Amino acid sequence: MSQVPAADGGVFADYDLDPAYYDEMFGPDGDPREASSRLNAALADLASDDLTKLQEGVYRHFLHEGITFTVLDADKATEQIIPIDCVPRLLTAAEWDHIERGLKQRLAALNLFLKDVYHDGRCLRDGIVPIDLVLGCPQYRMEMRGLKVPHDVYVAVCGTDIVRTHDGFAVLEDNLRVPSGVSYMLACRNAIKDAFPRLYRAHRVREVADYAERLYATLASLRPSLQDPNVAILTPGMHNSAYYEHAFLAGEMGIDLVEGQDLVLRDGALHARTTAGLRRVDVLYRRIDDDFLDPVQFRSESILGTAGLFHAYRSGNVVLANAPGTGVADDKSLYSYVPRIIRYFLDEEPILANIETHLCREPEGLAYTLEHLDELVVKEVGGAGGYGMLVGPHASADERARYAERLRADPANFISQPVLALSRAPCFIGGAIEPRHVDLRPFVLQGRDEQHVVPGGLCRVALRRGSLVVNSSQGGGCKDLWILED
Amino acid sequence: MLARVAAEFYWLGRHVERIEHTARLLRFQLTRLADCPVDDLNVGWQAVYRILGQAPVGATASGEEAEAIVIPDAYTLAGELVEERSNPDSLLSCWELGRENGQRVRAQLPLPVWTCLNQGYLWIRESDFSAAWSKAPDALVNDAIDRLRLLAGVVQDVMPRDDTWRFLELGRFTERVQHQAALLASWAELNSEERASGLSWAELLRVCGAYEIYCRRHSTDVEKKEAVRLLTQDPEIPRSLRFSVQRIEELLAGIDPVGARYPLAPPHRMALRLTATVEVEPAGLSAESAAGDYFRSVEDDARTLHHLTMAAYVTHTPAEGLAT
Repeated sequence: MSQVPAADGGVFADYDLDPAYYDEMFGPDGDPREASSRLNAALADLASDDLTKLQEGVYRHFLHEGITFTVLDADKATEQIIPIDCVPRLLTAAEWDHIERGLKQRLAALNLFLKDVYHDGRCLRDGIVPIDLVLGCPQYRMEMRGLKVPHDVYVAVCGTDIVRTHDGFAVLEDNLRVPSGVSYMLACRNAIKDAFPRLYRAHRVREVADYAERLYATLASLRPSLQDPNVAILTPGMHNSAYYEHAFLAGEMGIDLVEGQDLVLRDGALHARTTAGLRRVDVLYRRIDDDFLDPVQFRSESILGTAGLFHAYRSGNVVLANAPGTGVADDKSLYSYVPRIIRYFLDEEPILANIETHLCREPEGLAYTLEHLDELVVKEVGGAGGYGMLVGPHASADERARYAERLRADPANFISQPVLALSRAPCFIGGAIEPRHVDLRPFVLQGRDEQHVVPGGLCRVALRRGSLVVNSSQGGGCKDLWILED
Repeated sequence: MLARVAAEFYWLGRHVERIEHTARLLRFQLTRLADCPVDDLNVGWQAVYRILGQAPVGATASGEEAEAIVIPDAYTLAGELVEERSNPDSLLSCWELGRENGQRVRAQLPLPVWTCLNQGYLWIRESDFSAAWSKAPDALVNDAIDRLRLLAGVVQDVMPRDDTWRFLELGRFTERVQHQAALLASWAELNSEERASGLSWAELLRVCGAYEIYCRRHSTDVEKKEAVRLLTQDPEIPRSLRFSVQRIEELLAGIDPVGARYPLAPPHRMALRLTATVEVEPAGLSAESAAGDYFRSVEDDARTLHHLTMAAYVTHTPAEGLAT
């Protein structure tokens, strides 16, 4: 390890550059990258106390506005402030252009794939994706077979996790069901813009503030036959981990935030119960999993959804975004087939790379995973939030042995990937700036006619030294991401 | 607006008003700690708890049928009403419930209102009641009242006068009518011994923030008849019954504009009845028992108004509503 040249005291004094990891601010020689030089100089000029005050100001902003997420423990839900780091991460226009094109390509292909697997099944017959992988996926919804989805937009809102290593950017996973985090991206931006107004202006950062407007336009475009469709967000309620986001988006879009109990089916259409009677709902941005949408069609014990909702959807009387059954395309087993899906449906080479993935459902994948358990990250195919995964190098021999038993018992439920050398970005921690591992979740909107990638994203940080887990439920935080104009 | 959202705004208003009512009563009793004899204080605590419809925490009955009640120390009694989580009407519980109401309607609640509500909750949650008590017993309650005033000011300043505001205010004034009626009934029913222990009509005016106005209009020598009239019929005193029921009527007229619903919705009819009740002074109101009965009937009508409001706007079956 080496220290950066600026480490002559000041907030960068303890900043260790480890050549094993790509550093977002410093080049291999220890000098700031060109795009980061202004930010680096500004931070280096600040005393630790000044940065501490800024960091505290940002925290207070989050605390007072109640920008929270909920952690679900065994028997209770705890509301927590999402930790935010005050040092922004920068990406150049060229880097973003690459990501943006890759994301658009990926979502276009996945929407075509979803249409195909619920209709003709061409890609299954042609052996692009194993048929048993799709039909055996718990997220495959038989109810969606043959159903005409408005404008073939299965996924209207997508959040894709992207990491950077020395090899460049790569997709870690696609979130095609109910991706969350966009509100934290917007909250981070507001807080950091307040903290560094001059620095922000000097950097000519691309704006993200019109996200809600874009989201509304995207959702409304799915019901073009109506001049002014009634759009609503369906939330599981205030104890959901992403409730803040649901309320935030509804407020920003000026639409109703409904719970299942607010909706009722009348004459085959979905209506909201208002103080003056029933009001029809035309487009529902649902932030609730398929299983809980409709107790008649899916899980009968669900009290979060609305009886008959799926009937209204099938009848074409309401649009659901995202469509039920999209989870089949973000299953971690299917992930490794996405490059083939892109080539098959678009006849293009994937712009964004995938991470090498071993499918434990295949005998050779299972054997490799078991043999290299101490070197790999193993994940459940339907898992999320960092729960239920094993980080081999950080696990004890005992933990690995127990995990191996689970693998052997149900191999199809797991995939493994190498431990990635996630890039690191400077973070203000304990009075000094230190490097921490980061990833990035940009959001893509797919409307009737156009795609839009928000020029920014939720930049997640593993705040614990050495940790690679960026999930907020597991000790991760977030930071603002600045996409620079040309 | 969504029926559930209307209910949340309504209950937010009720919870905020409940905090204020409890805090005002507590402040009255806590300021007496400095110079009031212990026996008089005990009478005061029993009155406060009776007005709030609660039994004094930890109270033990002694003698026949609890003729005399041995009540615990002031710190315990005040703590029960300030920070006790198991008491749903404590300041902390009400603030928590109000914040939950606010959280459920964050999409409609202006950010400054939410921030003020959230900060108030964070403040009371983090407050160290025992430390505050050791400095000045009433300090924390005074702070709570100041924060409520701040919240009321922010609401006044930033909330659009749409149905969100109307249901918030409707909850607030419905709660106020119910509590003020209970307060007036309890005060009217005090016996002479209780009255002699400092629970005078002048104190009641102070609890209701109307003492100075009374003095300006009449004199410092407070007469029961005039005090009751002021707190019942005066249209300009914010905590008078007439002021509150008039607000309720206006709010309901805004929710169901004239002509939008014919015949008038049941809560609106009840509000008109309440207005008529408090505008006209009933005969014999000066007698203790008659006054008590009169205010209890107003309290009952306020409860009925609450149920009618819920039925008309929140819990109605879908078939009863008209699509708009």
